[in-house]
Amino acid sequence: MKDLIQKLVESWGPSGYEDRVRELIRAEIADVVDEWRVDALGNLIAVRKPIRPGGMRVMLAAHMDEIGVMATYVDEKGFIRFTNIGGVYPLNLRGGRVQFRDGRVGVINREEKAEGDPTLAQMFIDVGAASREDCPVRVGDPAVFLRDFVDLGPRLVAKALDDRVGCAILIEVMKQLQDTPHEVVGVFTVQEEVGLRGATTSAFGVEPDLALAIDVTATGDTPEARKRPMKLGAGPAIKVKDRGMLAHPKVKDRLIETAERLGIPYQLEVLELGSTDAASIQTSRAGVPTGCVSIPTRYLHSPSEMVDYEDVTNTVRLILGFLREPIDLG
Amino acid sequence: MEVKTVLQRLSEASGVSGYEDEVRSLVVEQMRALADEVRVDAMGNVVALRRGYAAGGDGPSVMLAAHMDEIGLIVTGVEKGFIRFTSVGGFDDRVLLGQEVIVHGRKDLPGIIGSRPPHVLPASERGRVISHHDLLIDVGLPPDEVTAQVRVGDLVTVNRSMIELKNDLVAGKAFDDRACVTAVLACLDMLQRMRHAWNVYAVATVQEEVGLRGATTSTFAVTPTVGIALDVTFGSQPGVSETETMDVGKGPAIAFGPNIHPAVFERLEAVAKANEIPYQVDPIPAATGTDAWAMQVTKAGIPTGLISIPLRSMHTSVETISLRDLQRAGRLLAHFIAGLDDTFLDALRMD
Repeated sequence: MKDLIQKLVESWGPSGYEDRVRELIRAEIADVVDEWRVDALGNLIAVRKPIRPGGMRVMLAAHMDEIGVMATYVDEKGFIRFTNIGGVYPLNLRGGRVQFRDGRVGVINREEKAEGDPTLAQMFIDVGAASREDCPVRVGDPAVFLRDFVDLGPRLVAKALDDRVGCAILIEVMKQLQDTPHEVVGVFTVQEEVGLRGATTSAFGVEPDLALAIDVTATGDTPEARKRPMKLGAGPAIKVKDRGMLAHPKVKDRLIETAERLGIPYQLEVLELGSTDAASIQTSRAGVPTGCVSIPTRYLHSPSEMVDYEDVTNTVRLILGFLREPIDLG
Repeated sequence: MEVKTVLQRLSEASGVSGYEDEVRSLVVEQMRALADEVRVDAMGNVVALRRGYAAGGDGPSVMLAAHMDEIGLIVTGVEKGFIRFTSVGGFDDRVLLGQEVIVHGRKDLPGIIGSRPPHVLPASERGRVISHHDLLIDVGLPPDEVTAQVRVGDLVTVNRSMIELKNDLVAGKAFDDRACVTAVLACLDMLQRMRHAWNVYAVATVQEEVGLRGATTSTFAVTPTVGIALDVTFGSQPGVSETETMDVGKGPAIAFGPNIHPAVFERLEAVAKANEIPYQVDPIPAATGTDAWAMQVTKAGIPTGLISIPLRSMHTSVETISLRDLQRAGRLLAHFIAGLDDTFLDALRMD
């Protein structure tokens, strides 16, 4: 799966501009699914019909979009001011590189005289232009972090693991799914980072009986980190709660039972901040029993997010195991 | 119906947002005696239908929403036998220290929320509110037994019995919003002896405290002609501005403002006057922070009203209300429902 993850994370796709990622994923799964479609917002919806009766329509969601920046102003000397697309931390930006849609690279720095905590307003992108007229970037042009994928062996480092690692897991699930009573609808969503917007509309369209989001979660296993129960290498995190949602208790319990039955290591997730597509799917229409499987990830929303590769492969196993049998929520 | 007994049972049941099972089973039991149909939806909302005499399957309907979830705590870790936690909903750090709690682990465990004694605190921390990040629950068991009984994601509720104060006031936990669930039950009880033309959907909603989630989905399913939310509002008490509070004991508050359809407000006020029910008027210029906020923007829009019971010490385990206000809220609602007819459909028209 490492090659697949590398391809996905090195692809370009800030919220609202997911077309390249979508095309990459479509090419991966087109031959293994029964049908696929792209909805009005750009969500890629891939369907695998049930192999045997007795199941439900289960929606699995992973988001394709990544955080980024967008040019707001180009000054007379050709420096670009910018705003954030999604949750960009100013502290992560200085000295970093971003790439625009046409491949052009810029470097980010901060006004030398600026003091205190860094803010986006003090920062600018330099694409090497000599003047406003010479600058190839226009107001409204989006860019994403430029950073190579690194394979550290048991751990992987890259930009946009949030949530391309979830996309890779969902692709693997759609490929490996053999024996299931469920109609499995894999949705590669758009615009999660700016408000779970793709999941909102795709869940309305798909009308699932049950749903799982596959996304990353923060850990508490780095020096002087806030106390959080999640850590790298202890298995997929089965979500109990985050700021936007409380997992359906029976969906959560079913995931726990599946992990224990198959001997897959797992951890339980209580996250005080943040949320995932699961939050908007859960309240779609008259309500959808919804859970979430998270990949513990260090340095979220930085250009160098880190996951444990075994957590990734175990997440695939957990979701496949979850889908194997009929699910009774009664 | 003896409202005090019902309120006490509901209040003392546990039902943290997302985990409303225990209180839900009590609500279902109560609703079954008062409604034609009772169902539990995918989110866990209890939806009870009382058919109106004039309404067919698609006739006009009124939906009542009062939330049965309560704020609570959830385990984030176990350290040396002590339990770390965070809140579900807006639990106030100021009222946590010293609470008796129940830890809902593999089995229910009594516990207390403790902290470092004042003597050992560095000067910089004295006199400060202790964040829940620095509080720990002690259940008394040795560390290995705590680890065996309790894990991340287990719920914790405050252990508190309702008490009666003087002058028909009562205090307890989760009156927000089980006082209003009780008022809805009192209303249904009255409707047994009244004629009403419209269908009545009485909904005990889930997950209000974490974002009006149960009202969002149940309103979508019911799609009522009119929605009435019932919730608590700030009761007058020293230190809180009079302009932000309603008097405890002077009747339910009828809200108006952008969240409220003007015709619903006017009708509620007219019903209160006609039936000599004391009431107060609660102007809310923006978000009401109640299920009414979610109901109003469901599908193509729902004309919405809000009735509130004044309550002191909100989001503590000694929330205080007047039982008379609760009964009046139920009566107001019942008379409002009994008066719903086709002329009210005309009154709702904005054009």
